[in-house]
Amino acid sequence: MELTLALAIGVLTGSGVWLVLRPRTYQLVIGLSLLSYAVNLFILSMGRLRGAAAPVLGADGNWNPADYADPLPQALVLTAIVIGFATTALLLVVLLVARGLTRSDHVDGRESR
Amino acid sequence: MEFYALLLIIGLPFLAGMTAVLLPSDSRAPATWLAGLTTAACLASTIWLYPAVSSGGAVRHRIEWVPSLGLDFTLRMDGFAWIFTFLITGIGLLVVIYTRYYISPEDPVRRFYLFFLGFMGSMLGVVLSGNLILLVVFWELTSIFSFLLIGYWHHNQAARDGARMALTITAMGGLALLAGVLVVGHIVGSYDLEVVLASGDTIRDHPLYVTALLLILLGALTKSAQFPFHFWLPNAMAAPTPVSAFLHSATLVKAGVFLLARLWPVLSGTPEWFTILGLAGMASLVLGAYLAMFQQDLKGLLAYSTISHLGLITLLLSLGSPLAAVAAIFHMLNHATFKASLFMAAGIIDHEAGTRDLRRLSGLFRYMPITGTLVMVASAAMAGVPLLNGFLSKEMFFAEAIETHADSWVDTIAPYAAVLGSALAVTYSIRLIHSIFLGAPPPESFPREPHEPPFWMRFPVGFLVIACLVVGIFPGLTIGPFLHVAVSSVLGAETPEYSLAVWHGFTLALGMSVIALIAGTLLYLVAGDYLERSESAPIFGRIQGQRLFERATVAVSWRWARLIEEVLGTRRLQPQMRLLVAAAIAAGAIPVVASGLGFAGSVGEFDFAFAGLWCVGMVCAVAAAHQAKFHRLAALALLGGTGLVTCVTFVWLSAPDLAATQLVVEIVTTVLILLGLRWLPKRSESLVDPEGLAARMRRLRDLSLAVVAGVGMTALSYAVLVSAAPESIADFFVEKAYSEGGGRNVVNVILVDFRGFDTMGEITVLGIVAVTIFALLRRFRPAPDTIERPEQQRIQRSYDEADPDREAGATAAEYLYVPSVIMQWMFPVVIVLAAYLFLRGHDAPGGGFVAGVAMAAGFILQYMAAGTIWVEDRLRILPVLWIGGGLLIAALCGTASVLLGDPFLTSYFRYVDLPILGKMPLASATVFDLGVFTLVVGATVLILIAIAHQSIRRLRAARLEGGRQVEEQQQWS
Amino acid sequence: MAWSQHLIIVPILLPMIAGAALLLIDETSHALKALVSLASTILLLVAGMVLMRMAADVPDGSEALSFSYAVANWPAPFAIVLVLDRLSALMLVLTAILGLAALTFSLARWHRAGPHFHSLFQFLLMGLGGAFLTGDLFNLFVFFEVTLAASYGLLLHGSGVFRVRSGLHYISINLAASLLFLVGVSLIYGVTGTLNMADLADRLPGLADDDRVLFQAGAAILGIAFLVKAAMWPLGFWLTPAYMAAAAPVGAIFVILTKVGVYVLLRLTLLLFGSPAGELTGFGGVALLWGGIATIVFATAGVLASQALGRLAGYSVLISAGTLLAAVGMGDASVVSGALFYLVSSTLSTAALFLLIELVERAREPGADLLAVTMEAYGEEGEESEEREDEEVGVVMPGALAVLGVAFGCIALLLAGMPPLSGFVAKFAMLTGMLNLDGMGDPSEIPGRTWLLVALVILSGLAALIAMMRTGIRTFWAPLQPVLPRVLVVEVAPILVLIGLCLAMTVGAGTIVSYTDATARSLHDPASYIRGVLGGSAPGQAPP
Repeated sequence: MELTLALAIGVLTGSGVWLVLRPRTYQLVIGLSLLSYAVNLFILSMGRLRGAAAPVLGADGNWNPADYADPLPQALVLTAIVIGFATTALLLVVLLVARGLTRSDHVDGRESR
Repeated sequence: MEFYALLLIIGLPFLAGMTAVLLPSDSRAPATWLAGLTTAACLASTIWLYPAVSSGGAVRHRIEWVPSLGLDFTLRMDGFAWIFTFLITGIGLLVVIYTRYYISPEDPVRRFYLFFLGFMGSMLGVVLSGNLILLVVFWELTSIFSFLLIGYWHHNQAARDGARMALTITAMGGLALLAGVLVVGHIVGSYDLEVVLASGDTIRDHPLYVTALLLILLGALTKSAQFPFHFWLPNAMAAPTPVSAFLHSATLVKAGVFLLARLWPVLSGTPEWFTILGLAGMASLVLGAYLAMFQQDLKGLLAYSTISHLGLITLLLSLGSPLAAVAAIFHMLNHATFKASLFMAAGIIDHEAGTRDLRRLSGLFRYMPITGTLVMVASAAMAGVPLLNGFLSKEMFFAEAIETHADSWVDTIAPYAAVLGSALAVTYSIRLIHSIFLGAPPPESFPREPHEPPFWMRFPVGFLVIACLVVGIFPGLTIGPFLHVAVSSVLGAETPEYSLAVWHGFTLALGMSVIALIAGTLLYLVAGDYLERSESAPIFGRIQGQRLFERATVAVSWRWARLIEEVLGTRRLQPQMRLLVAAAIAAGAIPVVASGLGFAGSVGEFDFAFAGLWCVGMVCAVAAAHQAKFHRLAALALLGGTGLVTCVTFVWLSAPDLAATQLVVEIVTTVLILLGLRWLPKRSESLVDPEGLAARMRRLRDLSLAVVAGVGMTALSYAVLVSAAPESIADFFVEKAYSEGGGRNVVNVILVDFRGFDTMGEITVLGIVAVTIFALLRRFRPAPDTIERPEQQRIQRSYDEADPDREAGATAAEYLYVPSVIMQWMFPVVIVLAAYLFLRGHDAPGGGFVAGVAMAAGFILQYMAAGTIWVEDRLRILPVLWIGGGLLIAALCGTASVLLGDPFLTSYFRYVDLPILGKMPLASATVFDLGVFTLVVGATVLILIAIAHQSIRRLRAARLEGGRQVEEQQQWS
Repeated sequence: MAWSQHLIIVPILLPMIAGAALLLIDETSHALKALVSLASTILLLVAGMVLMRMAADVPDGSEALSFSYAVANWPAPFAIVLVLDRLSALMLVLTAILGLAALTFSLARWHRAGPHFHSLFQFLLMGLGGAFLTGDLFNLFVFFEVTLAASYGLLLHGSGVFRVRSGLHYISINLAASLLFLVGVSLIYGVTGTLNMADLADRLPGLADDDRVLFQAGAAILGIAFLVKAAMWPLGFWLTPAYMAAAAPVGAIFVILTKVGVYVLLRLTLLLFGSPAGELTGFGGVALLWGGIATIVFATAGVLASQALGRLAGYSVLISAGTLLAAVGMGDASVVSGALFYLVSSTLSTAALFLLIELVERAREPGADLLAVTMEAYGEEGEESEEREDEEVGVVMPGALAVLGVAFGCIALLLAGMPPLSGFVAKFAMLTGMLNLDGMGDPSEIPGRTWLLVALVILSGLAALIAMMRTGIRTFWAPLQPVLPRVLVVEVAPILVLIGLCLAMTVGAGTIVSYTDATARSLHDPASYIRGVLGGSAPGQAPP
């Protein structure tokens, strides 16, 4: 399970990085989205894996941390997701506007060589 | 009392300079009076201070500035400083008087006096500094003010270039001096002048001595225009003549030799000092005199002779014998007097005859006999003719040159160089006199009829010339005591026995003087006419210092700089991204490589279902990466696939909140990109990347980067996953979530309570981005190729137009009829769902964010179903207000607790029974969450609409051909 | 808890509320918006001053040198704490001053060049305040994002080809950097189980070997994220185009952004890798030193190679960033103290330059090189938006040109580090610190890299002088009939105030240096910081 997740993170990162290094703005957006998936999973994995744990605290009085998945990384991921969403949206709009102003969807606004 | 005088001497010029600016623009007379009185006051207090220093003591005044760095505002006047102060203020006064008649009312006088007084103040500062750093401060100030003075007539090119060159070189020297002083400070442990002067041996024996020496000499030689930095001085002649008279006789260039003499007890006496200074001085002495002979511009001649005379002084200082030092100091004074008078005379001639060109000037004596006489005497002093002050110091110079100081060839050739230099000096002095005053008046008459200048304009010249005479004839009675005070304050115990007599009997030195005089005269008789005609000096004239300088500066400060910038930098994005990725990989890898990475730890059971799930996920990711270029839609779908897999993973790993959030964000993002796709250019397989080896190599490099990055992330995450979890702060949250946070959903409690502060920042980001997008899209201009209607719309439209009884767009309406109705019905449902998600958030998965996005989705459905216009006719939502409101709610909810005396964002809660919903926790955190909800709705809607809206302006855009800027005022904000 | 304690939240809360409220005000009522924004910024400055006094009043050598403020009233290290010490207070005041200057300048016309300028501006201030105050790594990330988001908005304010193009680069790179930030922070959490900086510093010594390796990796990745913000070579190429594209007031406030990266690096390297960290001591210092040196070299070349003033200003920002990074890399207290002085001085002067450039451009004759750049910037065909931007504001002030010339000269001196302005004192303080690590007269051998750094610091100043002189002569001396620029008092005043501050810094150098000395000492005593956050002992108590 750990291995699977680790591999998944790796592959997502790899594809993301590849796209981020491409010249087209659209590739850039897709690449960054892939990367943010990877990073979210990475953050989550930092709390170690905890399958089939109760999502919320039970009604019984004593709450042993060991019985639950580490909530902190989850909170961090939530924040990260939101911020990632916002910035992706912004980037998308900026590239649309850039496309409109420069008439090109190259990341530099003009075709290189 | 004394130190107030010192403060006055330093401060008054600056104050007066400031005041001069405040005068009305056409106030030559008042400005002159101001400057004159200031200078006079400084001079007076200098004279008044004489008794304090004549006894060999020094007046000190220390004001704390930055004590912890050893930098203090220390003023110190000893005999040497005194005589320089006297020189500066005295000649300064004469120059002011002279300027009154020289400068024309058209010139901006206020600026002139501001710079002039500023310069005088900083020069006095250099002389009176008792702290080396302070000395550097004033030193740099003199460079700056001289720059401004030289460039005073900045409308002509020569002035600008001269000023630039002067500042570049002297500032460079100044920075070197700063470095040198820092080194000295490091050696001695203090920047205080007296401490430094007291620790000569420590400095000379220190391994860093040579470093310090080189840096300080660099400063001094550039300032004193010594070879090889001499060339800025002649170019500085573009300055108004009073400026030249002041800067190049008594002040600016003297600062260098002043410093050398000041530090003479500390630095001198070593072979390095002897060789470097000796060579520089000798070269300047001879070369300066040589080039002076060939000058056709009067001021140019004087400039080169200045270089030569300063070379003489440098050479004397280099010898390291006390007697030589005496001679050097003496010559500093003498040179100041005759050179100042000559410069001012040059100005008079220029003024009266309208030219400074030696070839055009001739026979002026009959027009201005008095000036002529004065110039002749001054030139004689310059040439070192007996009974004039120049003779005395030159005599001492010869005497010292003969002595052996160190057995090196430099020392051996010193006497010959001395004689040669003086001989040439004689030649150019004779040439000056002869070609200007003697001979017949020129065939073509002068630009204007020359005549004697007004008395007060000539007065300064006369005064100085008389000084030359008096000192020359009765040295012992006049200059003697002052010189002695100055000398002994520099040399202290080493002060030698010396006599200032005119006649020492038939000494070798006298012989050398005679030789020099005769040889110089003969040379003029032989080569006079040639000199008159020569365009530039043979051999050395070819080597144009300033040309080389210009070339060098252009090369270094322009070509090389551009080259470096291009080689080391880039303005394209891809290389930057590559570097960033590479740097990140390196950062992650280096520690791991350095000390290995252990994967020891417990591995959970391998789950095939999970693995299978992720097989799909990975395939989607890679495929998306592959398709993104040509098949955008496909890539988007694949991206969505990966997103879904991620969602499932979150559920799998018991993180339902994440799953929910990820899902809604997924949806919104996809919608967003779908809306955006429409504005991107069509792209087909047909246009392909530049093939060829280079391109292939680039891709290979990127691919390897990607692979390495992936492997790295895998390694890191795996290493952590299998390692044992540390004692985490999270446990605290689990324990306190319900008992003190009042919520069962720990994640949500963290978000709104434990780490609510993060959430506050997070929603702010969302709000900012929404507003930014809104602002950006108000200026949106579609590219020309995208203002066309999308293809299938065109088809539908053509179908509608083909049929007379259908109005345009009907087909689309029909297509969308059923879904639109459903979506409109769904609207209330969505709202209820959102409310439910929101309220249960604290105890079960859900919460403000998810609810908000769901709500926003509801609005968007309406847009998609019925179209922008329809929706905005019916419900007018003002997203920006929602954003602002949401933020305010969150912030104020947090502030409430402050009013209650608890820290910001402290939450309070209790359980209440609500009808239907049952027992609900009512935490103040819920209010905070409400803020989150409101903002998220506003932001999401704003973003989505902003993009959706662009389709409307398409028509308008189409009208403005070429896709030019679109009309602004949209009603939907 | 004491009311004074609550002041610590003000630098974050005040601009946030102001920004939100500004969103509710109608776009058309510029005056009201300006008033609110201005008021908030002034209050921010006041608060900053008070906080500075609070921090400065803590007697040196007392047990805890930092105030901590537990947000949401949960104890550290579990929840988020804000930490106030001399350093953060200094940065807060600097931010407020810069903000006030830029805002005042923008009132001439820029705040009308697009919607919601004031809100974005306030949010930027909020983000900066948070970044300087927070004592929690992830919260730091959040405030970085706030700052960045606002900076995106401000950079694009006024739109136009050049801004959007460089904005695209700026945003993409910072997004990537933010992802690195997340990776780094989460990795650190994964191995240490904490996000609180003080707690982290506390836990480091007890780290197992494998964990330490992972921690180092995380810290290094995090460092890359900060270095991107601090624009270290070769991660800082985005800076110059972005800054020169931004509107004048925006460029001015952006000057502090690179300093945020430097601030965090300074804070964390000394806190985590200061003496007590044992195995980790001095981690990354070498990289910072050499990276800084490389940055100085590159930026110096850039300054010389700049035709346009905007580019020159951008590269000056790089020079100061590089110098600071190198100083942080050296890490010794004496150097850090000088570096802090330099930070303040260079920030003020570069900001003034950014403001001045726009006014100087107005004085340019047609065909001056800058015009070429503006053409490139604003696109060939005149766009409405740009026409709106170039609307003539101000009146022809008599002597305006003279004032601009003087200001230009002063800034040139400041950048060149020449007397009599604070640039010289700053440079001197740094250099003398480098050469005498243990105070004056320290006999220790001076290593080669120090010499190199000293030389570069001096040479970069010379380069700045040459470049500024070139431009200055071309602008103010060469033209026979100089165009009389139309300027407003609100545009000139901020510039003069900034320069005036630099002058004041020269005169009062003694006081400021003693403050920075104390700051440097406290930074080199991480224990005091940790005690202030975790120990719960209030500052000002004498050591037991």
